[in-house]
Amino acid sequence: MIVSNIEIIPGRTVSKHLGMVQGNTVRAKHAGKDIMAGFKNIFGGELKSYTELLQEAREEAVARMLEQAKAIGANAVLNVRFSTSSIAAGAAELFAYGTAVILADEA
Amino acid sequence: MYYQLILFIALVSVGFVFGRHAEQKHFKSILQREQSYAALLTFSMRFPPPELEIRDSALVAGNVVISVDYFKRIAAGLRSFFGGRVAVYESLIERARREAILRMKEAAMAQGASMIINVKLETASISKGAEGQVGAVEVYAYGTALVTPDTPAFTEVVLNQ
Amino acid sequence: MIYENRQVPEGINVSHEHPLKEFFALLAGLIVIIVTVVLVLAMLANYLAPLIPFSMEQKLLSQMDAKWQQEKVSGVDLQRQQYLQTLGAELASAMDMPDDIQLNIHYSKGKTVNAYATLGGNIVLYHGMLRKLPHENAVAMVLAHEIAHVKLRHPIVAAGRGITVMLALASMTGLGDNGMIAGLINQIGITSTLGFSRRQESDADADALLALQKHYGHVAGAEMLFEVLQEQATVKSPDFLNTHPGSAQRIQRIKDFSSAHPGDGKVTALPQYLRFEK
Repeated sequence: MIVSNIEIIPGRTVSKHLGMVQGNTVRAKHAGKDIMAGFKNIFGGELKSYTELLQEAREEAVARMLEQAKAIGANAVLNVRFSTSSIAAGAAELFAYGTAVILADEA
Repeated sequence: MYYQLILFIALVSVGFVFGRHAEQKHFKSILQREQSYAALLTFSMRFPPPELEIRDSALVAGNVVISVDYFKRIAAGLRSFFGGRVAVYESLIERARREAILRMKEAAMAQGASMIINVKLETASISKGAEGQVGAVEVYAYGTALVTPDTPAFTEVVLNQ
Repeated sequence: MIYENRQVPEGINVSHEHPLKEFFALLAGLIVIIVTVVLVLAMLANYLAPLIPFSMEQKLLSQMDAKWQQEKVSGVDLQRQQYLQTLGAELASAMDMPDDIQLNIHYSKGKTVNAYATLGGNIVLYHGMLRKLPHENAVAMVLAHEIAHVKLRHPIVAAGRGITVMLALASMTGLGDNGMIAGLINQIGITSTLGFSRRQESDADADALLALQKHYGHVAGAEMLFEVLQEQATVKSPDFLNTHPGSAQRIQRIKDFSSAHPGDGKVTALPQYLRFEK
């Protein structure tokens, strides 16, 4: 499965466009992480636990998007976009979407 | 305190029963409309098919705001104590997103389009569920509708269904 | 190039666990965590608070400004207060009161059907309560119950427990930024400490009955107090939500005590200035 945020894969041609596929997940951080983040808010710096959490969630969103793509018989998802939004206090939504396509075999 | 407990249980149950009913009904309607609009193609690609003869194009959009029910809010709050996947919000946002796309499709059909390209989606929280406020999520879907010479025939097909 | 929209299968972007199952699992987890934290802290407070000297308790109280401290008592009310003070002293002498504890009994004109013991050996009886009690034995039960609280250092224990638990709950609710969950956490936390409060009440009841037995030779008439309280209760809520044990249960305990220690059962009349029309 090729995942790309450009629309043309060099050297390959798209034989079929299959439409949009999406993957999303909503994640909450647990209370313990908030304590550490509270300290970090005093000193500044990267919130490593949050970075990991969001990255993990984003990977799940991509995995779900790819599951959709696979289910409809695509072998690549092009023009992939990500969006992150905070839905409720303490919960973030990670969203990935793109166009599922079938790439023709290399010429 | 006794009344508070009863009120709390009542609100959670009402939220669960009505919220779940509304969600199932909404998903049913989404599925049905998705099938009837299936002929209107949507893509997130930026460029139209090179061979397509385009008569007209227009920016089309659809949005929807869906409220969180009391049960979902409590369940999500409990989840935020422990962390992890907030399942109750996943279905909520899935509903909102598919509904927004459907409304965008409806707007495109009103234009007589046969394809929407460069579809983009935006999600926003109307209020972050602070105490005494309505928690709601908005999804906005937008794209470029392409009208082709053979479109009228297509719209007829859809409307006749 | 072919363009089509294939139908994506359902259910990839949602979790399949039943929401109620997850809800109850999380709720149970939250309750277990809070109850454990609260019980451990409350037990610690229960153990440590009585170690605070009584003189410290008095000092602590002098910094507060309760309503009954400002209330001026005069005329017949002063007479009533003196009567209560004397009866209280008699009962206290039947209760092995530690030497350093001083009792201070106040009469308040308030209409509430209530009486309470607070820090520094202070006991307040409301007019609203007194006017419902038909004879001295019932008044003695109220007094002995509150004196037992003072003797067992319940006010300082309750204050210590309250402060500790409040701090713990505040730090727990401060974590999440969801207002509704904060309320839920507080309710669970407070409810889980009520057991301690009910236990204190039962202990005070038991001590009071022993004092009455010693003073009058029987405990007849003591149950009048709880019959009055029973009448007052407008809502009947389950025991685990209350600070006090149910009145019916308390009356039953008095009956059990009375059948184990039979006496002549003669009740003492109240002085004229404490008799009120029904």
